[in-house]
Amino acid sequence: MTLLVEVPAPAAPAPPEPATVGRRRLPRRLRALAPYLYLAPALALLVVWTYRPLLQAVQLSTYSWNLLPTSPATEVGLANFREVLSAPELGDAVGVTMLIIVGMLPFTIVVPVVVALLARQVHGRARSVYQALVFAPMLVAPVASAAVWQWLLDPSSGAVNRVLGLHVNWLADANGALVAIIVITGWHVLGFATLIVSAGLTGVDDEYAAAAAVDGARPRQITWRITLPLLSPTLVFLTLMTVLLSAQWSFPLIDTLTQGGPGTATTNIYYLLWEYGFRSFDAGHGAAAGLVFFVVFLAVAWVLVTMSDRLSFHDD
Amino acid sequence: MTDRMRAVRGHVVLVLVGLACVFPIYWMYATSLRRPNDVFETSLLPWPLSLASYGEAARELDVLGLLANTTLVAVAVAVGQLLVALLAAYAFAAYRFRGEKLLYLAMIGTWLVPFQVTMLPNYVLLYQLGLLNTLSGVVLPQLLSGVGVLLLRSHMRSIPAELLEAARMDGRGSWGTLWTVVVPVLRPALAALAILLFVTAWNEYFWPAMVLQRSGAVIQLGIRGFLGTEGVRWGPLMAASGLACLPVFALYLVLQRQVVSAFVRSGLR
Repeated sequence: MTLLVEVPAPAAPAPPEPATVGRRRLPRRLRALAPYLYLAPALALLVVWTYRPLLQAVQLSTYSWNLLPTSPATEVGLANFREVLSAPELGDAVGVTMLIIVGMLPFTIVVPVVVALLARQVHGRARSVYQALVFAPMLVAPVASAAVWQWLLDPSSGAVNRVLGLHVNWLADANGALVAIIVITGWHVLGFATLIVSAGLTGVDDEYAAAAAVDGARPRQITWRITLPLLSPTLVFLTLMTVLLSAQWSFPLIDTLTQGGPGTATTNIYYLLWEYGFRSFDAGHGAAAGLVFFVVFLAVAWVLVTMSDRLSFHDD
Repeated sequence: MTDRMRAVRGHVVLVLVGLACVFPIYWMYATSLRRPNDVFETSLLPWPLSLASYGEAARELDVLGLLANTTLVAVAVAVGQLLVALLAAYAFAAYRFRGEKLLYLAMIGTWLVPFQVTMLPNYVLLYQLGLLNTLSGVVLPQLLSGVGVLLLRSHMRSIPAELLEAARMDGRGSWGTLWTVVVPVLRPALAALAILLFVTAWNEYFWPAMVLQRSGAVIQLGIRGFLGTEGVRWGPLMAASGLACLPVFALYLVLQRQVVSAFVRSGLR
């Protein structure tokens, strides 16, 4: 019974039953099946909604088909892939994707680290109030956020232009639209990144900093030479998230605010795929583009995850 | 610099960043509460208050119906994901079996498969099943959450083996152990995960946008309808957006700590 007491949550200890061990046990063979039975719903969903479509995309990618049940799909071999890789818009979309990633780093690394370091000095209720404020944008639905920001950025009566005394039509200008998409996406994830850094900081052992302070190190030196290196696993993790997920985070905003425009100024790789899928009316082309993206994405993720282990500094 | 000064500097920076973060949210509600003629005012406080914009939004959109539908979808998705993930995580945590590693990777790997690759085949399947433009068509493909399986498995692994052993000694089968031992122990983790899943499902936009193209039966799509038009009427638009965020904010006000920790944990593992 002492064992049960140590458990943190209210695990209602069972009333002592008479020894019925084995009576209700299922036959051996059935018990070997048990884990598969527990997994069955998840596996069914996995196959039907993720891996079946993935395979189907592979199949579709060698056809040319305009999605209409009445028109035949013609086999075209690898032509779709050639077309995708030689399309000029692909390079543009990759460029926009990278710009967004770089633009996101201040919001996912720099500001969160500064805020989290400062927040360490603040204690008690004030701290949770600040956290609550910074985190709130994460909870705003993307469409609502698009609506609010369209209002804030309105050229004639939006709050942003009025405060800055400008008359910029942000979303109609190529650079302005990209900056807007970056800032709004950054606004969404800033609080989340800050909390991750804060969580990382609580994992950093204070003793090193205390020892350095005794040796006469200045606070600034302690931050740069001790705290930040010890925080490197968190920072590497956030960089990884930024590189892999920026395109995904910005996608709903691009769709609702700029539709990739003006021109292709805000068409990132996800938005390009989305357009291929539903605007180009060529299912094969869209599937091929999706697969190319998937393979490259897997490779990038793999490289980054392997690299991140080497880049982190551990105190053990 | 003294500790006191440093603390003051910390407060100042945090207040500024915090206010910058909530300003757009504040401005949304402030605009929605102005009188229709005052919408273009820039005074910080919306005064005199008026609910006219909400009235107009309600005339334009079936706001209550949309909110009810969105709630239904989000609750169904969250509960479904929680159940499916609970069972799957239990299999991974409590058993050693053939193919375990591969199946686990396949499940966690779902987030690597971009939505844009699977959307077309899934759309076609929903069409064949006759589920396009239905709420179950929105819910069904979303029922597996890789993050949920991942989080619950790691929580279950931290349950002391003695506890499970004790349940077994009591003669309980694995099914009984799951519901009478594992679930009560995991209650805080399950609650946090439920919140995370609910908020994510509530804010989900793309899949509903595809499945419900014509009917626009959830609040997110209702708002989008307002957005594209020429000469946007900001008052009602802000009112509808504010309503779309309200349930999540209410949850956040009541359960701030749990909401935050749920999001952070999902990011950390």
